[in-house]
Amino acid sequence: MMTAVFEYFPAILDGLLTTAIVALLSIIGAAIVSVLLGVLRNSGQMHVRAAAGGAVELLRGASALVYLFWAYYALPALVPELPRFDPFIASIAVLSLVGGAYGSEIVRGGLQAVPRGQSDACRALGLRPHQALIRVILPQALSQIVPGFASLAVDLVKWTSIVSFVGVQDVLYVANSVRSITYETTAVFLIVAALYWVLCLLVSLTFLAIERTLPLNRALRASRRPTELPLKGRPLSAQPLVLQE
Amino acid sequence: MREPMRSNVSAPSAVEPAAKESDGVRMPGAGPAQSPTPAIRFTRVSKAFGSSQILTELDLDVLPGEKVTLIGPSGSGKTTVLRLAMTLERPTSGDIRLFGESIIHNDEGLPRSSRDEARIRSCCGMVFQQFNLFPHMTVLENLVLAPRTVLKLDKEESRELAMEHLRLVGLSQKASSYPGQLSGGQQQRIAIARALALRPQILLLDEITSSLDPELAGEVLEVIRNVAHVTQITLLIVTHEMRFAREVSDRVAMFDGGRIVEQGSPDEIFGNPRSERTKAFLQSVLNH
Amino acid sequence: MSWDWSYAAQILPDLLWGVWVTVVVTTACSAIALTGGLAIAVIGSTCGPAGRLCVRVMIELFRGVPILVLLYFGFYALPQIGVTLAPAAIGILVLGVVYAAYCSEVYRGALMTIPPGIHDACVALSLPTRVIWLRVLLPLAIQKSMPALINYVLVLYRQSAFLFAIGVPVLLARAQIAGYQSFRYLEPYTLAGLLYLLMNLPFVYLLHRYRMTNAGAHA
Repeated sequence: MMTAVFEYFPAILDGLLTTAIVALLSIIGAAIVSVLLGVLRNSGQMHVRAAAGGAVELLRGASALVYLFWAYYALPALVPELPRFDPFIASIAVLSLVGGAYGSEIVRGGLQAVPRGQSDACRALGLRPHQALIRVILPQALSQIVPGFASLAVDLVKWTSIVSFVGVQDVLYVANSVRSITYETTAVFLIVAALYWVLCLLVSLTFLAIERTLPLNRALRASRRPTELPLKGRPLSAQPLVLQE
Repeated sequence: MREPMRSNVSAPSAVEPAAKESDGVRMPGAGPAQSPTPAIRFTRVSKAFGSSQILTELDLDVLPGEKVTLIGPSGSGKTTVLRLAMTLERPTSGDIRLFGESIIHNDEGLPRSSRDEARIRSCCGMVFQQFNLFPHMTVLENLVLAPRTVLKLDKEESRELAMEHLRLVGLSQKASSYPGQLSGGQQQRIAIARALALRPQILLLDEITSSLDPELAGEVLEVIRNVAHVTQITLLIVTHEMRFAREVSDRVAMFDGGRIVEQGSPDEIFGNPRSERTKAFLQSVLNH
Repeated sequence: MSWDWSYAAQILPDLLWGVWVTVVVTTACSAIALTGGLAIAVIGSTCGPAGRLCVRVMIELFRGVPILVLLYFGFYALPQIGVTLAPAAIGILVLGVVYAAYCSEVYRGALMTIPPGIHDACVALSLPTRVIWLRVLLPLAIQKSMPALINYVLVLYRQSAFLFAIGVPVLLARAQIAGYQSFRYLEPYTLAGLLYLLMNLPFVYLLHRYRMTNAGAHA
């Protein structure tokens, strides 16, 4: 009964690859935007903080879908000098910006959670503010930022489904074509749902792995080791994950 | 009938029978011939949480109208006694009776239904260390809730009852405040009024001043002194305020390691403790 | 192509109708999500591990699948098993059920943060179970959940744009149709975007007011 669908399975996998690429690039883009906006929102200068805050509120104000339609259909008309967007690039740009706006909140929260004494100590040691941020504050903040960003990354994977509306041939786009050819709606969407689900799971697992390598988490694990002598011989992965409590 | 008061300390207490007899304060209301049904009776009650034994074969009677204070180091099981009497915990073994009715088993020896349990424990009120007022209700709503839903009083009656008890604790002007707007001492007085509004025959006081500053603790203890003098209510108290324990109690029981090490009148326990453990404990508390 | 005010004015009534549909859809979804979530949370915390497991599985399933896929599934697959519903009903049900699962987690978290002493106090006052839930635990849990719930309603409102994919005439769908008919996309999509942004303001106001009143109650 589902044979017709399996005939198109290679096409669906092609679509899945596109989805994965869009997701990967959007997650990387969103991470960069998150850190930039998050740092700006903690800036010492009031107007910088306000401008960054305004940008975040603006980007979060409507769904990525609305922004994608606007960027793809309306923006070229508004600024005719722009070359017509490639749908692929427009999608990644929109997802990065909107995802980054949400991510900046996570970054800001993480930065604020680092004890005040750390930046005081940096100043006392004569570090410049940007040195303090990059060498001391941000590495510690990552322990809080990465878990939050993990769920944002999963959201981004799901948000990539909107790119089918501007013609990017992602897994949903292919699935819709297969559905219109085979009429095996239930099977097609069950497969697509399962594929998205697995993709999201993979992203979650990747972020769990990243969490383990963060400097502060490693330090916390190491400081626990003397009290857990029996664990000494075990590989790192067998030890409990330690987060800031 | 059993003796109204038992103790699982044997050796040291048997040494001085004369002193016991001469002390009239020791057993108020406990005539030698017919003793009334105890308000609270613990029979060989044990309680363990996992592998840690909190109470071991505890026997304890509290007579109607008696004011009994449990003292002892933290972790010695005093609070658990109160929580067991209030059915907030279930004993691992043993029996607990309130006015002769077991809260553990019915007459057939089967576990009590929750409805029976609720009926029997309704003679009991409790005040907690952390006040546990309902933060989303005004003071008056806190006091009215139980009379309305448990005693089934109408709106006017329950309001009347609530206001009467607010006057008793001296806070009738705070009826429309929220708990969060009151000081710790005021909150605890409200909690006392809330417990008393159900007109319980037994009131359990669980370290009611432990989370208060000393000056706020005073106003709370004053309320309890007042209640103890004006009413015939049975009090079972856990406290670290030794002076208060001495003033208000008819009997003091010293707990350690889940057992009663020693019990007697306040004068005996505080003036002339027999057990080394009690001496050491009182020493450490008084020097603190 | 530059901005055409007369065209903008001409399509505005149509877009405002889309605003109205968006409001109705968001309200309906929120009603399902908020009450359904509460029901799930109460069942989950009274029915023991089995009930909790069911909710957990449901949430984990929803968490990994895009709304769009669920909407298509409801739209194309439900008629195949003999369930025919209006697109709007499907959209409202899908969003409502998914967010009910999410909201139930909020309620459950709030129930768990109620200090155990509050429950002890209820027992010490001999309150019946029904009263404990209706008068004490649920009001406290709802109060604690409020900011997170308002946030979810806000997310629901933004997500409602997705319903255009199955033909529900929400704001985005109106803009698309207007653009389609005249081959002018600048005005419809720009106006739609601005309207979507403007409609955040009531939520911002609500959250702000909630914080103010809450700060007052605990002063």
